[in-house]
Amino acid sequence: MSGRRLRTLVLREVRATLRDPFTMTILVTVPLVALVLFGFVLATDVKHLALGVHDASATAASRRLIADLGASGTFDPRPYATRGALEHALVAGTISVALVIPPDFDRDLNGGEPPQVQVIYDGGEAPLAGNAEAFVRSLLVRSGASLAPPAAAPGGVEVVTRALFNPRLEGKPFMVAGTFGFVLSFLTTIITAVSIVNERLTGTFDQLQVTPATSAEILLGKLLPLGAVFAFDVVVMMLVAGFVLGVWPQGNALLFVAVSSGYVFFSLALGLYFSATSGTAAEAVQKTVLFSIPLVQLSGFAFPTRNMPFVFRWLAEVFPATHYIRVSRAIYLRAAGPEALAWELAVLALSGVVFMALALRTIGART
Amino acid sequence: MSRRFWSNVLAVAYREARIVRHDRAFLGVVLMQPIMMLVIFGLVLSNKPANVPWAVLDRSADAVARRLVAEVQATGYFRPPRRVASYDQARDLLRRGQALAVLVVPEDFGRDVERGRPRVQLLLDGSDPLSAARIGAYVAEVAGAFATRVVPASARHAAPRLPGPIDVRQRFWFNPTLSDRVFFLAAFAGMLLTNLCLSVTSGGLVGEREMGTYEQMLALPTTPLEIVLGKLVPYVVVCYGLLVFAVLSSGLVFGIWPQGSWPALFAITLPFVLASLAIGVLVSVLAQTTAQSVFITVFFIMPSFVLSGVMYPYQFMPRGVREVGGLFPLRWYQLALRRIVERGAGFAEVLGPALALAGLFALLLVLVRWRMKPRLG
Repeated sequence: MSGRRLRTLVLREVRATLRDPFTMTILVTVPLVALVLFGFVLATDVKHLALGVHDASATAASRRLIADLGASGTFDPRPYATRGALEHALVAGTISVALVIPPDFDRDLNGGEPPQVQVIYDGGEAPLAGNAEAFVRSLLVRSGASLAPPAAAPGGVEVVTRALFNPRLEGKPFMVAGTFGFVLSFLTTIITAVSIVNERLTGTFDQLQVTPATSAEILLGKLLPLGAVFAFDVVVMMLVAGFVLGVWPQGNALLFVAVSSGYVFFSLALGLYFSATSGTAAEAVQKTVLFSIPLVQLSGFAFPTRNMPFVFRWLAEVFPATHYIRVSRAIYLRAAGPEALAWELAVLALSGVVFMALALRTIGART
Repeated sequence: MSRRFWSNVLAVAYREARIVRHDRAFLGVVLMQPIMMLVIFGLVLSNKPANVPWAVLDRSADAVARRLVAEVQATGYFRPPRRVASYDQARDLLRRGQALAVLVVPEDFGRDVERGRPRVQLLLDGSDPLSAARIGAYVAEVAGAFATRVVPASARHAAPRLPGPIDVRQRFWFNPTLSDRVFFLAAFAGMLLTNLCLSVTSGGLVGEREMGTYEQMLALPTTPLEIVLGKLVPYVVVCYGLLVFAVLSSGLVFGIWPQGSWPALFAITLPFVLASLAIGVLVSVLAQTTAQSVFITVFFIMPSFVLSGVMYPYQFMPRGVREVGGLFPLRWYQLALRRIVERGAGFAEVLGPALALAGLFALLLVLVRWRMKPRLG
């Protein structure tokens, strides 16, 4: 391993990359677009959801109930004169939730019998209905308790809820921290794979091999600049997340950059492996995409791994992306320090080393 | 259109079909991806909280508090709770991600129960907001309806039951168990077809240009339009094959059959497939190299999945972002799919999405025609 030769190779790679405006554009725009896209897309707080109401009771109490549901900003109540019109609106998709208050609501409320209301959700949009359900039920229980005459109130325990780390339960920080995992797992691998396959196809890889440089030097000469670019990407993403989306890391920013740079090398190794086993650039991309779908879906990027069936929960643990995204959220949102993350960091480091060794062996056998 | 036009189109189609049969990457997309995605969207992904780790900080050691904890546990969303002794320990668990919620029962809980206004505190890990919001609401509901005084078994017949002040009867239409599987698989065909249409066509023309076969075809008495259409015909056939796979696999494996009109389902697929293929063609006309076209495609598929509403309901998205999603054919197709598959719609209900798709297709054709010059390079 010669430092001078390595430096030459690195310089060559940097020049080649800078001369390729398309790759440069991808490297800069994709992370930023992904960040903004994912940051805005997930709003967990149900807001201004169309709530159809058929109020057959039309008393002060039922109107109070509807007003309570509307007051939180979660629902926009819309009155419907008949039950049929309400059901039609649900089928047509103009409302997501339908509330039916029966004619004897007020009488039951004061007569000791618990009054019944009916709630129908549009289950077609399951995630939306799931969130709406949780809100409707707790709002109804709370509002009903205040409506009922004191004697009828059978107790109930008031819950004072406080969300740590993200008091307003915004979707943005969750998605931003996950997007680092998405970009560093996917973009990194795909860029590496294509870049090396292309060199093999154009013959420049063979040219490099007849120079005095060893294979290890050639590969390092490719990987180091790429790694540096992605480490730079991480910093740019952090700044954009902060200034555009208002999401700054709660924990140690340096620790986050260090962990991310380490994780980049795992992705580079994966890209190296795909490039070694592919004949054309298109094939390398197909392989990466095929592999990245489960990587991203199983890693808890969008849906928590704990909700998955048993077998897949364990499968997810095998993917380094799962651990990286976990670490990323822990540092970004919960200000966790290295001591709380020791296990996850160890898994990441180990898989990085194993994959790099595997990739180097595969590409060594090929060249 | 003359007879020669169609015979030329068919000739190009025949040639394309012969080539495609030997394309390994293409076969991967057609054979592997559908099965993988069926497993992921049918079995794995879910928004519904499950196996939630939580902890209890019980300072009252009151029997009523223990009963409340048992009732929360009985909702089935939680693992058995861990006991913690202090706030610091609770915070630490939350910070390490080892608990998503901590229920804090205050010291004077027993006295408050007697006075009739008991309170507990729930600390949530806001770093997973979707789960936290739902868990918070579940606990609030259980606690709100919680009977602090147990009616003795002997008196239970005499005295009326004491449920919550309002008895909420709820139902989920179109998806009675509210499973995310129905939500995902209703749009399954949309995901498969987007992947296929974009990834197969985008490399097409660039690849031919790179290999020099495009020039050969131009030397034949075929016009560029004939070439493009001819290259698309085989993929339309493959798309319908995938549509049948999507419908049959979700039906046979998961019991999710389209509730509405099958003819409408097959009809609405045509403008969607054409629009998606046209996007692929546009990419392949714009890109300089195969690698570029593949990149553009991959990074077009990603936002179209996210913004169209196949993975998250688009109603979650803020205004503006929601409208941008309307530029993707997948948005309109998934709207139509959900109406047909889940809500039992027919032709009339999917007319709007069909018109939007046809409009997008027309627009794309104009763009392709404008950018495509029969140039020799």
